[in-house]
Amino acid sequence: MRIDATHRKWLRASLGIAAAAATAYILNALMSAHGPRGGSALGLTFGIVGSAFMLFAGLLGARNRVPVWRLGRAQTWMRGHLWLGLLSLPLILFHSGFQFGGTLTTVLMWLLILVVASGILGTALQHYLPSRMTGDVPMETIFDEIASVRAQLNREADQLVAAVCGALDAAAANPAVPAPSESREPADAVLLDAEEGLPLRRFYLSEMRPFLNRPHEKQAALADPQRAAAAFEQLRTLLPLSVHSIVKDLENICEEERQLRRQVRLHHLLHDWLLVHIPLSLALLVLGAVHAWMALRY
Amino acid sequence: MPRTRTTKKLAQRIDLNYFKRSSPLRRWRTWLVVGIPALAVVWLVWLAVGRDDTVYSSGGLSAAHAVLNTDCAACHVREAGRFSAAATDMACLACHDGPIHKEKQMFTPTCASCHVDHRGPVRLAATSAASCAQCHAKLRVKSGASLIANQIEGFGEHHPEFTVLLARHTDPGTIKLNHAVHMKKDLRGPDGKPVQMACQDCHRMRGVIEPWPYADPQLRPASVFASTDTASPDGRALRGALQGPSIMSPVTYSTACAACHVLQFDKRFTEGIPHGKKLQELHEFLLKKFQEYIATHPAELRIVREPDRSLTGMPLQPIARMLTPWQWVAERTAEAEELLWRKTCKQCHSLAKAQGAPFPEIAKPSLLARWMPRAKFSHAAHQMLTCTSCHAAATSTEASDVLMPSIAICQSCHNQSANGAESRCFLCHTYHDWSREKPVRGKFRLHHITGGQPPQPGEQ
Repeated sequence: MRIDATHRKWLRASLGIAAAAATAYILNALMSAHGPRGGSALGLTFGIVGSAFMLFAGLLGARNRVPVWRLGRAQTWMRGHLWLGLLSLPLILFHSGFQFGGTLTTVLMWLLILVVASGILGTALQHYLPSRMTGDVPMETIFDEIASVRAQLNREADQLVAAVCGALDAAAANPAVPAPSESREPADAVLLDAEEGLPLRRFYLSEMRPFLNRPHEKQAALADPQRAAAAFEQLRTLLPLSVHSIVKDLENICEEERQLRRQVRLHHLLHDWLLVHIPLSLALLVLGAVHAWMALRY
Repeated sequence: MPRTRTTKKLAQRIDLNYFKRSSPLRRWRTWLVVGIPALAVVWLVWLAVGRDDTVYSSGGLSAAHAVLNTDCAACHVREAGRFSAAATDMACLACHDGPIHKEKQMFTPTCASCHVDHRGPVRLAATSAASCAQCHAKLRVKSGASLIANQIEGFGEHHPEFTVLLARHTDPGTIKLNHAVHMKKDLRGPDGKPVQMACQDCHRMRGVIEPWPYADPQLRPASVFASTDTASPDGRALRGALQGPSIMSPVTYSTACAACHVLQFDKRFTEGIPHGKKLQELHEFLLKKFQEYIATHPAELRIVREPDRSLTGMPLQPIARMLTPWQWVAERTAEAEELLWRKTCKQCHSLAKAQGAPFPEIAKPSLLARWMPRAKFSHAAHQMLTCTSCHAAATSTEASDVLMPSIAICQSCHNQSANGAESRCFLCHTYHDWSREKPVRGKFRLHHITGGQPPQPGEQ
């Protein structure tokens, strides 16, 4: 979600709540006998309100599981999640008097700090990366379909090369490519003799197919756009003009593979922080409930 | 025909059931969402099975209570039917007696409202100023008027000047001492050589063992003086205030004055009269001394007094008298007493002779051992300072001068600034009236506290 002008009301409200809470905290700290305490009336108020904000922020996940329920707009929930979740940190710090206390409260405080920090990081990433994704990955596809798209790219490349150089032998058959359901025979394909087609076959089998088959290998020459352009330019000088359009298609397939790699990288940046944020949030809510129960008792 | 990316072609590449398949990222997220909270719950269950409640502690206990760190129930007593197990006064009183502050107090705070634990290894007695200000900021008493200022919020906030420095107060001591004279340069010392006296020559903290430079020669090597005046005038014992070298011992003649101020009564004797005796005893002492003397010097019974010269300047015949021993002793005793009452004793003491009384009365010294009876003070904690930093002794010429420092001098260090020394009330004042302290009958056995096994029958 982008942090834009639509957040202005939330920002103002959050700053207002934070300022009011800070004022109350400072006055209480100056006037109370033993400084700020979680068990005092104000300390409990901070704790209850902070916990309520955390709970609301946590309910975003539940709300997302049942998007058809009419429980307010998703954007409103998201803004509330961001701003109230962020506010929970100062409120809980005021509740604790900036002390980490005993074992459970120390664990809770660190969990809260990690959750809020990962949330801030995630918010920043989600603010900047989508626009970068649009610019850097015009061939973006559905993330979960990337493996499938890669297989199709492999198959397409195999067919293009086979159309020019003849069938790739069994030893060179691409193990990562399932049997094609329908073959694509390029209309302008010209079958070259073995000697003419050798540079393309050699390049494809030694450079391009490993590049397509091993998406996690970052050192491949074709992973670098400039080196890839140079390699294809050299290949074109070795091949007759009649197959240059095929070479162009192969170059385009490599570009798509590079973009898929970039998309995977950006996708992980966009979503991996959730692997920290969500589980720790749930642990925080569970342990926070236990803390509330025990603190009220003792 | 070059490779093209039409919407149709792109759509054909997508498996429409892709969202039904699990992806690694989704799998990880599910595992972590279930696993980490479950791990937290398992942790708490594990602790509960091991009966370890310390995890719920809101912070470490004070040093004095550290031994109870693992025994929450020692203070947090659980009662059937009650949800709350907060530490009550009853739990505190099981181990400590906390005598009331004043009979006239309107409000008695709970133990925990002043002595806040679970804040790490702090001193529980080091209560906040605000704890005292709960009442003293707007002091009201059950009956009558408050005897002290009623708007005190702290040492720096409306704390009045020390009572002893108020205008009506003077030193009640009757010993005529001029501090300024004693602190002059080149005073003549016991052996006639010039000396520069220092405060420590006369004023010492209790328990300090060091030779007294101006003591009676018999006491001079080393002496320990212990005052028994350990209670304030209103009878309240000041716990801790008088233990160790904290207050100054009252100055005594034998340790501070005897070397210079020898109480000589007659030129025939080098020793002086004993100090601290009743005048009747001194009279008997003098009689005995002179009787012993004349017994060994009978020639002195004949007294030859040099006559005055005649008006013409011609010397007259000397006048000789022959006395009996009793007459001689009586005359010498009378002369010695005249010297003592009029000069030697009077130099420091106030003497008054009632009509018909055989001897004058010496006023009681009335040296105050405690100038601030409602407060405690440790000279030991301030010994890095020169005495005159706080006590204006060098300029005091009257014995009635009160040389206690003003509150402003204390506040120059003891204030709430970042570099200020401790300024909370507990530093000088004690809340509980320890004179009312009752003995506590302990209820714990050793294994309750150490967490060990209870002793078997027959064992101690």
